[in-house]
This record gives sequence, structure tokens and C-alpha cells, in this order.
Amino acid sequence: MVHIHLQSHAFCINDHLDLLIEVLKRLDGRSLGIAACVCRQWCAIARNDSLWEHLCFRHVSPAPVGVRPVVAALGGYRRLYMVCVRPVVSRLKRRRIGGESEVVRRVWNQHEVELSLSLFCVEYYERLLVGGGRVAGDSPASSLKFLCMPVNV
Amino acid sequence: MAPAKPKDLHQTLPDSGGMDELLEVLGYKVKSTDMADVAHKLEQLEMVLDEDGILQLSDTVHYNPSDLSGWVQSMLSELNTTGSDLSSSTNFDIRESSTTTMIDFSNNTEVDDRYDLRAIAGGAIFGSNSDACSNGIKRMKSATAESEVVDVPPGPVVLVDSQEAGVRLVHTLIACAEAVQRDDMKLADALVKHVGLLVASQVGAMAKVATYFTGALAQRIYKIYPKDGLESSCLEILQMHFYESCPYLKFAHFTANQAILEAFAGATRVHVIDFSLNQGTQWPALMQALALRNGGPPAFRLTGIGPPQPNNTDALQQAGYKLAQLAGTIGVKFEFNGFVAKSLADIDANILDIRPSEVEVVAVNSVFELHRLLARPGAIEKVLTSIKAMKPKIVTLVEQESNHNGAVFLDRFNEALHYYSTMFDSLESSGLTQPNSQDLVMSEVYLGRQICNVVACEGTDRVERHETLSQWRTRMNSAGFDPVHMGSNAFKQASMLLALFSGGVGYRVEENDGCLMLGWHTRPLIATSAWQPGVIES
Repeated sequence: MVHIHLQSHAFCINDHLDLLIEVLKRLDGRSLGIAACVCRQWCAIARNDSLWEHLCFRHVSPAPVGVRPVVAALGGYRRLYMVCVRPVVSRLKRRRIGGESEVVRRVWNQHEVELSLSLFCVEYYERLLVGGGRVAGDSPASSLKFLCMPVNV
Repeated sequence: MAPAKPKDLHQTLPDSGGMDELLEVLGYKVKSTDMADVAHKLEQLEMVLDEDGILQLSDTVHYNPSDLSGWVQSMLSELNTTGSDLSSSTNFDIRESSTTTMIDFSNNTEVDDRYDLRAIAGGAIFGSNSDACSNGIKRMKSATAESEVVDVPPGPVVLVDSQEAGVRLVHTLIACAEAVQRDDMKLADALVKHVGLLVASQVGAMAKVATYFTGALAQRIYKIYPKDGLESSCLEILQMHFYESCPYLKFAHFTANQAILEAFAGATRVHVIDFSLNQGTQWPALMQALALRNGGPPAFRLTGIGPPQPNNTDALQQAGYKLAQLAGTIGVKFEFNGFVAKSLADIDANILDIRPSEVEVVAVNSVFELHRLLARPGAIEKVLTSIKAMKPKIVTLVEQESNHNGAVFLDRFNEALHYYSTMFDSLESSGLTQPNSQDLVMSEVYLGRQICNVVACEGTDRVERHETLSQWRTRMNSAGFDPVHMGSNAFKQASMLLALFSGGVGYRVEENDGCLMLGWHTRPLIATSAWQPGVIES
């Protein structure tokens, strides 16, 4: 029998981290980023790379095999999303639909993922070139500047 | 490679009787002493007229518009219907704020006849009073920050049309090239100086292209042949900036990689021979695609060829080392060899340690490199034979899509003018780089060196011997290569890549009988093709 207790203290999600993760898994990138700003605990959880992996590939079927070690080595899924997937997808979506539109819960296909991965690898290599042997810096390398700059569509 | 400076040429022109020479070139006679006064009058004129206003001015005939000072004066007095002297500087000092009331139409309930320009041109001049008011006040604010050159308003019927000056510039450039073709150096000398003046009146991509072509023509006329003194490391830096500021090189790399990837399907050991390694930026994407392919990555061997470096710096080895680091990171077995060669013709298949094709699949990659061999007779044939000796599964070739190797100088000049104008236009208009950013400037220098080589050099020095895809097709076919069609994946990837660049506006990917071309609007600029050695019938 399940008793629902009406108690003086309310339900707190922070006591149920598995629930929190389930919720975060369903968010889009922007919301996930906002979630990371809520508190230190949420920040630690939202930065978990598997959440971002889920975000990158949840609509891609079949899920690509063997990608994880490569992406992890090149900087992780969160970085992949921020540097490549998000700008690639928002640019391509805007082009298809034309005009202003938000990137909310959209499906991206295998080709877009492949392109993002390639650009991600190029970006890693450029940071190698610049950093003189070490991968330096957090901001994307120069050849991907075109992804960061506002696009006058 | 400095372009002819207008200031220096200024002194060599014959004395035009005190008239300003820059304006004279455009067809206007203004005494240099009157310049400030004319500028002042033009500001006043601009203030009382809307942009279309000048077109709707009355039917009065204006004589002698080349006398700019007198003409502007007559317009100003005409606008003054009651004869009070608007043009006298004492009444109309734009720098004083008290004059705002004179053009503040929106607040006047009764319109003062003296300033009612509607009497001249009807209500069309001022669509809504408030617009005219804010326009006028805006202009007043900007009037105080004046540049030295007379800033003529755009669009008006009588004043100079910058497009017309641009056409004149191009015609003069071509006339100069024609004079060079005919070996009429005296005329060419005069024309090249004239072009220098015309260039000063232009802005934007047109001006930059014209500057490079003018400089190159000047070098040809005065026989100052540039030695290829620029160090290869500088060239690499220039190319890096070119890589960053526009999609041409990225397109080249991605399409070539896709063809190579497909050729490598199923192989366990692969060998790529890169005819111009530079910093190796083509290969990370290929290695990543190989790392993620079904069945895991093959063992990847890369042979990079590069020009001799000054100071014994080993740029090839450095690039190889960085690529090895990347390979280790993503889990691809990697081997690198670097070869320094002044010309590709010096490379022999034997040096390259080609392993039997049952063991290792070979790909040969040449991006903007093969055309240099056309400078020496016999070189291209030798290299194509060497390529066949390497027994590659695929040869990827990326070249500029233009014929800059014609026998007649004038033809080369015209082709190059069109080609580089389009290139510079794409750099400027694609919206990727901020105006005058370092990337943009460096990319222009990179292209400028090519222009200089095409126009000013001859013989073995002239290495930028670009040819069109059809010409390369003929050459490859007669050398015994069969075309390999670039698949739809390459096309899709290229289209997506371009869509990332400013929404894909302007750039165009085209498929041309199995080859891919990237162009700006309707003009293809680079072409990627893939080849395999033909089957030898015994």
C-alpha cells in the first residue's frame, strides 16, 4: 500500500537525483544549460557528459557505435554540442524553414551528426596546432569561427 | 608588389590649371582652392533635399555641370524661391545648433513659403514631415564629421555615378593589358598611371582587385619581376587565413576526403600521399571518419610532400607529429613520412616506399598543386607517370576553375580579371569575415600573390598556371586515367558545409559529370575530381 503523506515539508527533487536525471535527459540544450545555473548540485549533474551524449544522439537512429571514446578524447559531448552540433543544426534548420525559429526538440539526421563530428575533429586539431602540442583553451579554434558568428540570414 | 600609389602619380600629370586632379579624372572641373567651398555647398544642398528630391527638381536647365562649384551654386539659389541667400555661409552655418529650427517642418503648423520646397517638387519629396525632419537632423549630425574627400550623395542623376567609374576602371585596365600585349609600353605606362588614379575613386572588392592587377601590370611594364621571395612558412600562414575566411579550401578537403573514404572501404591498411601537406588540416576529418567507420579504423599511413623550408625548420615533421598526436587521441594507428621537394617532378614512386596493393590501399591527393608543373615542359607527364607507378586506388584532384594558362597574355589577363573579381567579391560579400579583419586582409594578400604571378611573371617563374576542369579531364584521360564519380554523399556533405556559411547565400555547389564544383553565384571557382588508373589492356 502506498501512503501519500501530506507532510509539512514539500517534495524536493534534490533528494531524488535519478528523477532529476530523467527530467534533464528530456531537455533541449538551452534548457540543460540553464539547469546548470540553478545550483552547484545541478551544475555538477548537468555537466555530466552522458546527458549531453543523450542530447546529441537521442534522435539519431541507429545510434552510432564506437563514437564515445573518440568524442570523449576530443573534448566530450558537451563541447561537441556547444561547438558544433548546436550551431550546425540551428543554421541548417533556419535555412530549411527560413526565418526566425527556435531550435526546440528537433530531429537531426546522421549526415548532420557526421559533419559535426568532422568539424569537431578539425577544431581539436587546430587547437593542437595553436597550443604547441597541448590542447589549449576553451573557446573554439579559428576555422570554426564561422559557426560562432551571427549569421545575417 | 606595392600597387601604384595615386599620390606619386599626382605629380607626374601635366598641370591642369589649378584644377583638382582626382575630380578631373571623373570629369569635374573644380579649382583646388574652391574645394572647401564646394564641399560646404554640397552639404547644404544635401540637407534641403531628400534622396529622390534631386530627381524631381524643377525643369530649369543646368548648364555646364562639370563646373561643380557654379552648378551647385545655381541649384542652391534655385531652391530659394524668394531670393534670400541660402548659400551664404553666414546664414547657414551647419555647425550651430540654432539652425535646427530652419528645417524642423514637423513642428510648423503654418509652412513658411520661403522653405516650402513642395512648391518646387510637390508632396513627393517629403513623404511625411516627420521623416524629413529626422532625416535632416541626422544628416546635420553627420555633417560635422567630414572626411577630406568630397562625399557625393548616391543615386542623383547629374552627380558622378560610382558604377560608371567602376566600368571605366575595368576598361582602362583592359586597355592597358592590350597595350602590353601589343608591346606598346609607352601607352601602357600612361594607362597604368591613369588606372592608379581611377582606383582611388573606388571602394570595396572592386578597388582591391584593381589595385592588385594594377600593381601586377606595373611590374610587367617596368620589368620588376618578383622573385618568389616569400618564405614557405609565410605562405602557409596566408593559406591558413584563406582557409578560415572562406569555404573554398574546406570544400576541397571535405569533398576529396569523402572520395578517399569511399575508396578505402573495406581496407585494413591505407596510405595517403599528399602532394602539398602544408599544416595537414585536411587529414583530421578523414582520420576521424576512418576511426568511426564500421569495423574500426584501418592502419593509416600518411606521406606528406612539401617545399624546402628556410632555416632548416622542419614544418613537415611538425605537422606529422601533431597528426600523430591526434591519431593517438582517437585511436587510429598512424605512420608518417615527410619528403621535401622543390618540385613534384623530383619525386619518384620508388622513394615513397609503396607497399603492394594487396597489403595497402593507396590514395594520391593534390589540392591546388598540379598546375605548377605546367611551367616546365615534360614535368606534368613525368608526375602523372609516377602517380600511375604508385598504383593508387584513387587520385583526388582539386584545382581552380579558370584558364590562366593561355598562350596569349591578353586572354590570360581577361580570364584572371573575371576570376579574381568574383573571388574577391565572395570574400567581401559573404558576410563571414568582419570588414578589414586580419583573415580577410591575409586572404586577399594570398590571392594577390596569385594575381601577381599570373600577370607579371613568365616562363618557369609563372607557376600559377590554372586550367579548367575540361582541360584537366583531357589531360588525365590521355595520361591513362579513368574518372571516378563523386558520390551523392560528397555532394550532400558539401551542400551542408556551404549551408553553414552565411545560410548558403551566394555559394553554389554543382555537380558536373561526376565532379563537384564550388562557385560564387553563377561562376564556378574550384573543381574537385577523382580518378583511377585506367585498366591496361594487354
